[in-house]
Amino acid sequence: MEELIKEIKTNIIEVLNLEDMTPEDIENDAPLFGEGLGLDSIDVLELIVMMEKEYGIKLKNPAEGKEIFKSINVMAQYISDHRTK
Amino acid sequence: MGEPILVTGMGIVSAIGLDCAETLQSLRAGKTGIGALRYLKTIHQEFPVGEVQLSTNEMAQRLNIPDCQPRTRTSLMGMMALDQALRHAQLSDADRSKAIFVSGTTVGGMDMSEQFYMDFLHNDLHNDYISQHDCGACTESIADHFGPFASVSTLSTACSSAANAIINGANAIREGSCEIAVVGGSECLTKIHLNGFNSLMILDQNQCRPFDEMRAGLNLGEGAAFLVIESEASALRRGVSPVAVLEGYGNACDAYHQTASSPDGEGAFLSMKQALADAGLTPADIDYVNAHGTGTLNNDVSESQAMFRLFGPKVPPVSSTKSFTGHTTSASGSIEAVICILALQEQFLPLNLGWKHQMPDGITPVTDQHPSRPLKHVLCNSFGFGGNDSSLVFGLTTEHSVARGSSSLATTKSPVSKPLFITSAAQISIQRGLSEEWMDSPILYDEPYVRSLDIDYKQWLSPAESRRMGKLLKRALVTSLSAMQQSGVEHPDAVITGTGLGCMENTEIMLMHLWAEGEQNCKPTPFMQSTHNTISSLVSIHTHSHGYNATYAHKGASFDCALEDAWLQMQLGRINVALVGGQDEMTPNYFGMLCKTSTLGNPSQIAGETAVSLMLSADSTPDAMCKLTYFKRCYCPTPNFLSHIAAEIGNVDAVMTSVSGSATLSSESILETSRLFPDTPLMQFKNIFGESFTAYGLGVYATANILQKQRYPETMLIPGFRHPSECRRILVLNQVGGKDYTFTLLESL
Repeated sequence: MEELIKEIKTNIIEVLNLEDMTPEDIENDAPLFGEGLGLDSIDVLELIVMMEKEYGIKLKNPAEGKEIFKSINVMAQYISDHRTK
Repeated sequence: MGEPILVTGMGIVSAIGLDCAETLQSLRAGKTGIGALRYLKTIHQEFPVGEVQLSTNEMAQRLNIPDCQPRTRTSLMGMMALDQALRHAQLSDADRSKAIFVSGTTVGGMDMSEQFYMDFLHNDLHNDYISQHDCGACTESIADHFGPFASVSTLSTACSSAANAIINGANAIREGSCEIAVVGGSECLTKIHLNGFNSLMILDQNQCRPFDEMRAGLNLGEGAAFLVIESEASALRRGVSPVAVLEGYGNACDAYHQTASSPDGEGAFLSMKQALADAGLTPADIDYVNAHGTGTLNNDVSESQAMFRLFGPKVPPVSSTKSFTGHTTSASGSIEAVICILALQEQFLPLNLGWKHQMPDGITPVTDQHPSRPLKHVLCNSFGFGGNDSSLVFGLTTEHSVARGSSSLATTKSPVSKPLFITSAAQISIQRGLSEEWMDSPILYDEPYVRSLDIDYKQWLSPAESRRMGKLLKRALVTSLSAMQQSGVEHPDAVITGTGLGCMENTEIMLMHLWAEGEQNCKPTPFMQSTHNTISSLVSIHTHSHGYNATYAHKGASFDCALEDAWLQMQLGRINVALVGGQDEMTPNYFGMLCKTSTLGNPSQIAGETAVSLMLSADSTPDAMCKLTYFKRCYCPTPNFLSHIAAEIGNVDAVMTSVSGSATLSSESILETSRLFPDTPLMQFKNIFGESFTAYGLGVYATANILQKQRYPETMLIPGFRHPSECRRILVLNQVGGKDYTFTLLESL
C-alpha cells in the first residue's frame, strides 16, 4: 500500500501539473478538493482519465470520482480493490 | 434601445434537413435528426449524433467543386447554407460585394487536419490541407465560392460563435459601416471534439433529453446556417421584404469557469436582459425562448435559474431544438436563429423532444406546438465554453418594418467617427516582455524562427492559478493584467481577443494523442484550452469581468477583427472601455508545416510569437498614449477602392507596414503602399517583432509607443525612404495575402 500511495501521489503531481509539489507534501488523509490541495472539477476529470490509463478503472460519471478522490487513502483503497492492471 | 435590423434571407443545413423547407417539415413532424454515427470515422459508436445526411464528397458534388480542390466539411456545409441565404435574399453580385461576411467556427478545417496531421509533418502528400486548417481559411473558402465580400471575419467563441457573428454584423450595420451583412456559422463533427466532449463526460449515450430530470448529457451535431441582415433603408432600396426583424441582442461573460456555467446563470441572465433592453422589450413581451438547452446536468440547471431570474415564475414557452439537431456547437447560434424565424413565420412552438420528467429546479419545456398566444417576439440563447453567453431577439415582420415609406431613407448616419484613445499597452514577444527596450535597443535575430522571451510569471500569477495554463495563456493573461493595471481599469466593458490559432500547443497535444494512442484516454485540459476563446474567457474569469467577451480567429487579420469590433461598439456607444488583445504561439511543428506552404521560412523572415494587449477607451485619460481616428477593413479591394480609402485618410507622417522579412523597395506591397501614399516614409515592425497571425497587434502597439514617446526607432524605418519629419499621424497598414487589408490611423495627443 505504501508503494501504491507514493505512486498515486507522483501520478497526481504529474497529471495535474502541481509543479512545485513533491509526494511528501501531500497528506494521506487530507481532502484533495476544496481545502487541502484545492483541486476542482477539471481535476476530477483528469484523475478519471488517469485511473483508466494507469489502473484500468473506468468510472461512469464525475460524481463517482468526487467520492473516490476524497483523500489519498480513500483513493489508494479503491484502486487496490478495483484495479485491472 | 438599438436600431432594428431586417432579416431578408436565410439558409440552413443540419441533421433535420438540407434547407428551410425540410427543416420546417422535421420540426412540425417532431422528427429528430439524431441517430447512429454514419459519416464520422470514430470508435465511439456508442454516441448518437446529429449528422448532415450527406458524405463530404456528396456535398462537394452538389456544389460542383472539382475533386482537385481541397475541401473541408465545415466549409462545404457553409457554402450550401450560404448559397440558400444569398438566393433567398436575392442578393446581386454588386450588393454582395458591398456586404460584409462574418462566420463563426471553432473546428475550421480540423476534420482534415486530424486525418492528415502526420502527413503534414512527415511527408508532402496532403500539403494542400495545411492552409485549410485554421478557422479563417474556412471562412474565406466559404466566401470565395461566391465572389468577394466587402470584408470577411471569423468569430470563434466556441458554442456561441454564430450568435456572436450575427451580433458583430448587426453592429456594423447599426454603425453604418455597411448596409448588408451575411452572418452565421458552420461546424462539422470531428474526432477531436467528440473525444474532447467525451473527456468532459457530458455526452449522452442515448438521445439527449434537455431539461429532463433524467438527462445525461448532450448529443453532438453538425451543420451550418447563414442569415442576410440589412438596414431598413437597404431593404427598401433593393425592394425585398424581410422575413423577420433582429430586434436586439446581448453578449455577457459568465466569468465563472472554463467549461461550466455558474449555478445562478449570471452570464445567461445578463445576456438575455441586455438583449431585451436592446430590443426595447420587457420579459412579458417574449412569446418563446429557444434555449441553449444542451441537456447537460450543468447547463440546464444554470439556464433555468437565469430564466427564473429574468422572467419570474411566468416563464414563456421554452424548448431546446438541440433535441432535433444535436448540439451543432459553433453553428448552433445561427441554426437556432433560423429555427426561431421559422417558428415566427409559421406561428408554432418547436418541441423539446425526449422530455418526460420535471426537474425540481428547472423550467418546464414546450410539449404542445400550438402557442396559446401569437408569437411576436422570440429569444434565442447561445452559450459557449468560458461563459461566452449571447442572446438574440427576433420579431415578426410588422407594417412598421416592411415599408415605412422612403422618408426613412433620410436616416443616414454621420460620416464622422469619434476618436478613440489607446490608454495603455503591454507585450510579451520575441522582444523583452513588458518593456519598451525594443525602441532603443531591439534584439535582432538571424534565425527564421524564434519563441517569445517569457518573463517570470510568478510575480503575476500564483503556481495554483497558473498550473493548468500553457505559455500562451500566461502571456495573454499577464499582458492583459499589465494593460489593466497601467490604465487603472479593473473591469473593462469588453474583452476582445484576436488569435489565429488559439493555444496551438494544446491542439497539437490532442492531434498527437489521436495518432499515438487513438481515441482512448483523451484528456480534458488540452481540449478545453484548444478552443480559441479560452484566452479571452480566461481574462474575464480571472478579472471577474461580466462585460462583452468575444474572440476572432481570422488568419493574419485576427487582431484586426478584434479591434474592429471594439471600434464599432465604441462608435455606437455600446461600450466605453475595451481590452483588445492579439495572442498567438508558434509551435515547432506548425512552423515546419507553414514553411511547406511558403507562409513562413522565407528569406530574412522571422517567425515569432505574439502576446499584446491594448486598453482602448472612448474617453481620453491623462496618460493616454495616442488617438485612434480612422479604422477600416476591406477584402479583395480594387485599386480604385484603395485609392479612395487613402484619400479619406489624407496625409500621414509615416506608414507602418506589415511587410514580412526585410522590406525591399521593389516588393509588391511596398510598391502598392507607395502608390497609395506617395512621398511618405514607410516603416516596418516585423523585422524586430517577427511574423505571426496577430503580429499586426504589435504594429499598432509599436506605433502607439512611437506617438507617445515622439521618436522613431531607426531600425523600423525602411531604407530608401526619407526620414519622417513629424510624428503626429501614422497609419498602421495590414496586408494579408494580398487580399485582406486593415487601415488603422493613430494620431498623437
